[in-house]
Amino acid sequence: MTYAQTVEDERTGVVSSAPDRTRWKRIVTIGTGGGLLLIGLRKRSTGGATLALLGGFLCYRGIVNRSDGQHDLERLGTSLDRAEASAGGRTVERSITVGTSAAELFERWIEPSTVTQVFGPVVEISPEESTVWTWRIDGPFGWHRTWRTEVVESEPGEFLRWETHDDALVDGWGTVRFRRAPGERGTEVTLRLNVDPPGGALGNMLVERAGFIPEILATKALRRFKSLVETGEVPTLERNPSARGRGDLL
Amino acid sequence: MKALCWHDVNDLRVKDVPEPQITNPRDVVLRVTKTTACGSDLHFIDGYLPTMREGDIIGHEFMGEVARVGRKVTSLERGNRVVVPSFIGCGSCGFCGDDLWSLCDNTNPNPELQEPVLGDVTAGIYGYTHAFGGYAGSHAEFVRVPHADENCFPVPDELVDEQALFASDAWATGYMGADFCDIEDGDTVAIWGCGGVGLMAQQSARLMGAERVIGIDRFPERLRLSRSEAGAETIDYTAVDSVVEELEARTGGRGPDACIDAVGMEAHGTGIVHAYDRAKQRLKLHTDRGKALRQAIVACRKGGTLSILGVYGLMDAFPMGIIMNKGLTVKTAQQHGQRYVPKLLEHAAEGQMDPSYLATHEFSLEDAPRGYELFKHKEDGCVRPVFAP
Repeated sequence: MTYAQTVEDERTGVVSSAPDRTRWKRIVTIGTGGGLLLIGLRKRSTGGATLALLGGFLCYRGIVNRSDGQHDLERLGTSLDRAEASAGGRTVERSITVGTSAAELFERWIEPSTVTQVFGPVVEISPEESTVWTWRIDGPFGWHRTWRTEVVESEPGEFLRWETHDDALVDGWGTVRFRRAPGERGTEVTLRLNVDPPGGALGNMLVERAGFIPEILATKALRRFKSLVETGEVPTLERNPSARGRGDLL
Repeated sequence: MKALCWHDVNDLRVKDVPEPQITNPRDVVLRVTKTTACGSDLHFIDGYLPTMREGDIIGHEFMGEVARVGRKVTSLERGNRVVVPSFIGCGSCGFCGDDLWSLCDNTNPNPELQEPVLGDVTAGIYGYTHAFGGYAGSHAEFVRVPHADENCFPVPDELVDEQALFASDAWATGYMGADFCDIEDGDTVAIWGCGGVGLMAQQSARLMGAERVIGIDRFPERLRLSRSEAGAETIDYTAVDSVVEELEARTGGRGPDACIDAVGMEAHGTGIVHAYDRAKQRLKLHTDRGKALRQAIVACRKGGTLSILGVYGLMDAFPMGIIMNKGLTVKTAQQHGQRYVPKLLEHAAEGQMDPSYLATHEFSLEDAPRGYELFKHKEDGCVRPVFAP
């Protein structure tokens, strides 16, 4: 989806990409669940029964397409929030106050080097397309998954929104908003992250096991952003010495 | 390089570790010349503070010489002799701007470990759990100091190391505790604990004009230092039926105008409440033995000030009703060292206060585990062991 298309969709209140993605995810979830169900039933053992139950659960999830984050988001009223509410998956929100203006913070956020510093090794940005971010999770034995998001909407000094490409295995979106803080306190920055892997709860669990925990990612990203803007650097233990060796990135 | 590392609960070992490097442009690396144990180290050594990892370099109270300088450091050069506060400030956030340096927003790289428990994030500190930043500590030949322009304070040539070393933490903390008390003419200040921080609080309270200072502890040599160095009266809590009644008797029934807790979560004591605390702490049902703090709350006069310097976890059985009904003012913080260090060095240079008597023992880094043993068990009159890497 292009930036222009999304703006047009927002004006008419229709977000065309969400149903497509949802349908695709449901197919993957039902397919995975059905496969596990069949394998489990063939095994005729305790492990097989567990697999069959898991598969059955995934089929159920795929069919009813229940969304954990949907209920909370539906109470929100803006067009942007309605667009977020139309997506499924798990959504986290964190805020921080940074001692400078919203306009400056917006400019800093859209710098490619800022995004890679605040999200760390989870995000890479291609120099050719600074609005396309590649997200990566690493599991054991060299296993990894990547998916791409693109900035689809922005209002300088106010907000920025990105979404996964339609062909992404892991669905999701994010927004960052800037609002003036009271007095001379600067700007309140609110980051929302949504991640919606196929497989519902199982998919979420696997993503978390791979270290992609949206709550922690959002907390760290905002803290790093604040430090970067206010001090020019991000606090790090990158080469911290210990008897374990060098480096202490948790 | 050699460093003193936390291996497990009550297991410290000297290890070979990599040297620290300039990691951010405002860093310096110091060659550590003197570094000392702090009573708060005992909390994670004894296993009461979580998020230590095997191999962590400990130590947060230190001084040294600048060995390497980051490219954006403007006020320091190689060879400068400096003392460094234990909590790391950035100098740029609103909290540092308000002189509340231990609340700095920008120096803790592990906010996700602290925020769920505290509801917010403190500044980072050297060698003191990963929740408090995970920075390598100072009991090593070299240590990295972030935001060096804000955190390194040049030591005047006329001061010996031991006159400056304790400005890093014990002296700054004790001084802050006395400062919290807003001492006025005629005030009596009672201080629980005659270790390094308690003695510094007593001396500072005297310097700030307290008419009477009362030190409370059980070790004779520490009580002696309280009398001889801080000019305090003393109470041996094992020799009286009730510390609260003793204080009441000594203050004409009013109670001290201000009470300073320089003990923290591993308070010793007597009686059934202490036994209850000890049993619950052993069973991991709560984190703190709060005998000293509870005594201070009960003893303090109506409308008085309670200044809490001791380190605590998530204490239960906390007598909030007494604080409320007596209208006490509670002031507490981890030390805002950057606010006080210049003043402390000035006091030392002008001969108004000399903390060097805290350094009762000196060890090489290789012998640091033995130094901690002496310190923990208060053997041989040990108030502070100082290590010279």
